[in-house]
Amino acid sequence: MGAVYLLTLRQLTGRGRLAVLAVLAALPMLVAVLLLRQGDAPSVTEFETAVLSAMLAGSIAPLVVLAIAAAAFGNETEDRTLANLTLSPLPRRDIAVAKLLAALTVAAPFIALSAAVTGHVAFLGDARATLAIVAAATVGVMLYASAFTWLGLVSAQAIGIGLLYIVLWEGFFSGFVAGVRLLSIRHYAIAVMHGLDERRFAGGDHLSLAAALAVSAVVFGGFLLLSVRRLRRMDVP
Amino acid sequence: MSAGDGTPAASAPVIRVDRVSRWFGSVVAVSDITFDVHPGITGLLGPNGAGKTTLLRMMTGLAETSSGTVTAFGEPVRDNPALYRRIGVMAEHETVYGFLSGRDFVRTMGRIRNVPDLEDAVDRAIGLVDMADAQHRRLDTYSRGMRQRMRLAGTLVHDPELLILDEPLNGADPRQRVHFQHLLRQLAAGGRTIVLSSHILEEVEQLADTVLLVVNGKLAASGGFRAIRAALDERPYHVRIVCDAPRRLASAVVGLASVDAVTLDPNGAIVVLSRNVRDLQIELPRLARTSGISLRRVEPLDDSLESVFGYLVEG
Repeated sequence: MGAVYLLTLRQLTGRGRLAVLAVLAALPMLVAVLLLRQGDAPSVTEFETAVLSAMLAGSIAPLVVLAIAAAAFGNETEDRTLANLTLSPLPRRDIAVAKLLAALTVAAPFIALSAAVTGHVAFLGDARATLAIVAAATVGVMLYASAFTWLGLVSAQAIGIGLLYIVLWEGFFSGFVAGVRLLSIRHYAIAVMHGLDERRFAGGDHLSLAAALAVSAVVFGGFLLLSVRRLRRMDVP
Repeated sequence: MSAGDGTPAASAPVIRVDRVSRWFGSVVAVSDITFDVHPGITGLLGPNGAGKTTLLRMMTGLAETSSGTVTAFGEPVRDNPALYRRIGVMAEHETVYGFLSGRDFVRTMGRIRNVPDLEDAVDRAIGLVDMADAQHRRLDTYSRGMRQRMRLAGTLVHDPELLILDEPLNGADPRQRVHFQHLLRQLAAGGRTIVLSSHILEEVEQLADTVLLVVNGKLAASGGFRAIRAALDERPYHVRIVCDAPRRLASAVVGLASVDAVTLDPNGAIVVLSRNVRDLQIELPRLARTSGISLRRVEPLDDSLESVFGYLVEG
């Protein structure tokens, strides 16, 4: 499994890709600084809705993860090198786990750092609030990574489909249609943040921390299992 | 049908392909093919688009069969990763991890296959394909032939008992071709089973003990190369002859025993149908000389593999 993990890391860490992701990840930090320098600083609820939920959890995190996780299998199905891995005695589960871990290794630091700096700046060094934001962002990255790794394995148009999902589902419908929130990674992440620091982030129609973590585990494991199943059944190009 | 002529018929086949078909929508790529493969070199021969690659992909477990079964060493090849400890596969497409050096690629392939004494195994595999000098260069700087050789090293690193190679000689220059053929013979002599595909008749003739002819998704013929060659030798050939007196030559060649039919094409050349080209090669110059006719060009019209297969399938 280690060899597949290292190979995938090499595949995913092109300089151009990392530079674009770094710029994306810097945006929430930049917005947080600009908002706080205004004379009329936003309330916690306004900041949470605009920056933490819509921007970080609903846009930047999924975009960064999409660019990396969809390529974990997508590059190899496209250039037909995936057979090098599937024509090996490695259990398909090990291949899927190695790919997902590699995607997380590349994507998580960007988002975790972005969340940490954004939280630290916005909440003036409040460790608990910052920790809650980082934990929520990490949960979001894990779920998006599991989903987009699977997507990269099943579709050659993973990036396009992923963008539609981010814009329409996570960005549009889940913001306006209450029922959709129960099926939204962005809202699972925000529910984790609420649960970890209820002082700062007052709950609304959110899931409890336990429910959010349980649903997150199901989504993470579910997409991983789908990837394993796909690897076992697909015609490898 | 057994593709293991020359090996004991009683021995269990290394690969068994049993009534295998594969279709994509309404297109049938492989139709009801059955054969066994035994140790030695088996050549899968057929024109481009005949279904060789689809068949090989099912034999390696990369693709699902629509019906029928494929087993290797008595086990199903599909969804059976443990079997790849004993099988090495070199697929047709030549894409590689260009950012790796040749050695890193072979090492990675070895690691994925849990090869013990990895560095020794990598040295051995790279030595076998004669790529030690270029092993530290990145794969994307290799020529096509070098890439093929390093891919073969990656296929050999775990010392598999069964090798399945799809068009392995693609891109090889004549020297590499000779080396490659020598290596495959050496591996087969060591008791391994090798299945290789090619659309080039001579390539398979030089290497394979046994030939499987695939045309239009069907197994047209199988067996030793001599039997296949004999069938080829008996087929009628069209030979085009350009000379300075075509009508006179046409009326004269009709009388030759080696000629079955004669026609004149619109360009004034003669097209002769012959079932005995060897005799025609002797009789035609003799006839031209005695008739005072100057031959300018004599060429076979249908020596392509497709026409050979067409004949065999119809036959």
